Amino acid sequence: MKKKVLLMGASGSGKTSMRSLIFSNNPASLTSRLGATIDVEQNHVRFLGDLILNLWDCGGQDSFMDSYLSTQRSTIFQHVGVMIYVFEVESRDMPKDLTYYRDCLDALRKYSSDASVFLLVHKMDLVKGDKGTQLERKRRDLQAESGDVEVTVFGTSIYDESLYKAWSRIVHTIIPNAAVLTKHLTTFAEACSATEVILFERTTFLVIATSSPPAPPASSQRALANGAATPGSSSTVVTAPTSPVEDVHKLNATRYERTSELIKALKHSCSRVREEFYALEMELPEFTAVLDEMTKNTYVLIVVHDPTIETAALKINIRTARQKFEELQNDSISA
Amino acid sequence: MQHSNGTKSPTIDVQRTKILLLGQRRSGKTSIQQVLFNDVSPKQTFYLEPTTRIVKDTYDTVIPLEIWDCPGNVTLDTLGASLSDFSSIIFVIDIQDSYQQPVARMLDFFIAAYQESPDICLEVLVHKAEAFTDDYKIENFRHIQQRVIDELLDISQDYEQMPLNFHLTSVYDHSIHEAFSRVLHKLIDSLPYLEDLLNVFCANSQSSKAFLFDVKSRLYVATDASPVDTGTHNLCCDYVKTLNAFGPLYKSSSSSAARLLRDSRSSSPSSGPSFYPSAAVTLAPSTQGTTLTYHSITPQLALLALMHTAVFEEQRGLLEYNVVFFREGVQEISQVEKDARMGSLVV
Ligand SMILES: Nc1nc2c(ncn2[C@@H]2O[C@H](COP(=O)(O)OP(=O)(O)OP(=O)(O)O)[C@@H](O)[C@H]2O)c(=O)[nH]1
Ligand SMILES: Nc1nc2c(ncn2[C@@H]2O[C@H](COP(=O)(O)OP(=O)(O)OP(=O)(O)O)[C@@H](O)[C@H]2O)c(=O)[nH]1
Ligand SMILES: [Mg+2]
Ligand SMILES: [Mg+2]
Repeated sequence: MKKKVLLMGASGSGKTSMRSLIFSNNPASLTSRLGATIDVEQNHVRFLGDLILNLWDCGGQDSFMDSYLSTQRSTIFQHVGVMIYVFEVESRDMPKDLTYYRDCLDALRKYSSDASVFLLVHKMDLVKGDKGTQLERKRRDLQAESGDVEVTVFGTSIYDESLYKAWSRIVHTIIPNAAVLTKHLTTFAEACSATEVILFERTTFLVIATSSPPAPPASSQRALANGAATPGSSSTVVTAPTSPVEDVHKLNATRYERTSELIKALKHSCSRVREEFYALEMELPEFTAVLDEMTKNTYVLIVVHDPTIETAALKINIRTARQKFEELQNDSISA
Repeated sequence: MQHSNGTKSPTIDVQRTKILLLGQRRSGKTSIQQVLFNDVSPKQTFYLEPTTRIVKDTYDTVIPLEIWDCPGNVTLDTLGASLSDFSSIIFVIDIQDSYQQPVARMLDFFIAAYQESPDICLEVLVHKAEAFTDDYKIENFRHIQQRVIDELLDISQDYEQMPLNFHLTSVYDHSIHEAFSRVLHKLIDSLPYLEDLLNVFCANSQSSKAFLFDVKSRLYVATDASPVDTGTHNLCCDYVKTLNAFGPLYKSSSSSAARLLRDSRSSSPSSGPSFYPSAAVTLAPSTQGTTLTYHSITPQLALLALMHTAVFEEQRGLLEYNVVFFREGVQEISQVEKDARMGSLVV
């Protein structure tokens, strides 16, 4: 299955930089050497095996933008699954950015009416004052500019984990039946006595799915957790933070994207000595964890707080679950 | 006088090994100190204020350190201490700056120090080197090195024996860690014993390379006798950084504390905690690959060792045994260091 992803925004806003970070494992420090993109650079990124992301990195210089909106209009905007529009947080010419944005939105509505739209307020690292309020203001402005088109806004920077958060959320919407994966990860977490299980895509280390928050040991909550894992109640598993289960662990809210960032950095260090990162196991004061290959295209991180569980046991569990997840993943993508 | 619980009473002043950080204004002294010892990220050093008075920072690793970060214009008179109080003097030279003034000032300090204590370690950090290409970097480095030696011998031929060490550094890569590690090694009296322990560990565990790292600063305090490959060093450095960052991410407010509780309960009070964090990263999928292991040794130190994945998987028991043996050795050495420093106060 193929998904066309449009990457648009003004020249210099950082589109090619983020592509090279997420998909080519290049460090942020090297992005300053990138030249402006000429016309459109198309990339086919194999994501989860059979799902292919067809990335259209559209050079943002005015002449190119004008041509996307006129002669190339149908080529660019048809069959789009996702449009990601990148705004520099401190843009030199916001009115112009917005004019192009509205035109692109119109074209997208005409040619791909059911495409989802993500707006990235990028280079947040350059904001001097309060990043939170600045982002809120931008979010409100951009939502107003978007009229009745539903848009999701993220603040991002190539220098921290925010980019992984945004892209994980974006690819999550592309994966069919991600909820089924969540359900099985939740069951798997229970089998491992894990607090949490996270599934990552192999090359990008973007988060594909996570287990639902575990139930507290109280017996009243037990029924609820079992109910959620009952087969047949497919795709109804709650992943939203509004879960009725009380969160007793209060894990760091940025842990998913930080994990992506950390592992990508470690992978990069390994590649610098011509080694390839393969697996990681940790027994830290705070928790025990194993990060290992789950399927051909995914990695799994199992986080356990129970001190009696050993990493060797977790590794055996992963080995046992591999086959099942390989099938699941194929099902979920071809579905 | 009893020092049995010396570690738990920071009010008792141990005798610290003193390091003096000198250099021109904006050469990068505070940046180096902050990046290594205060977890400041290299990019954040951009916002550091100029240093206006001497700042003394303490840091506890295998030996207790006291680092004096000076303003750019400090002189022998305004230093407020004798140069012989310091075990090491580090002079930072900005590779992108002109060299004449800094070299002249540096030699004034070095000559004064050398005359007071000929055994003092004199270290030159040619800093901010990341800005240049490799070739140009090396060329400048050689040029500065030659110039320093020429000027020194111009002053007097007597200084030919002066033990100068040159390092090429930057806070933006691993070079500052590697260079400062080497600076540190010269200050650790027990280094040969630590190295012996590492050599024994490597031989018994079939490890090709092992480092004893200070976890927080990511400086290595000792390594085995095999040569240090920069790439391997950098990977170890990054690995420690990764593990440091992981802990807080999945810390559970309800369950993490219980893990430690269990461990302190299960161990007898005299033997210390029985739980030591450990980790292993495996490189390349097959057993042909390499595994990099991490074992906590003391609250500050961790052992990192490279070995074949096959060895790691098949001889795990032996490895853990060797680690226990190694840990006991290091703890003994640390205790001797500690006692010696406490003892010297009594005198
Ligand atoms: N400070 C900061 N700079 C960034 C960030 N992302 C990208 N940049 C810089 O922005 C510059 C332009 O990035 P590109 O990725 O080439 O921009 P682009 O959107 O692809 O530009 P066109 O190809 O002309 O459309 C580079 O110098 C990047 O280093 C960020 O998050 N923060
Ligand atoms: N390019 C580069 N810049 C660096 C490096 N280390 C420090 N800097 C920058 O150099 C500037 C001065 O750094 P400081 O650490 O304040 O210098 P200092 O020697 O303490 O200066 P004074 O306290 O005024 O004597 C800052 O902008 C740092 O970001 C480095 O390795 N490379
Ligand atoms: Mg580009
Ligand atoms: Mg300073």
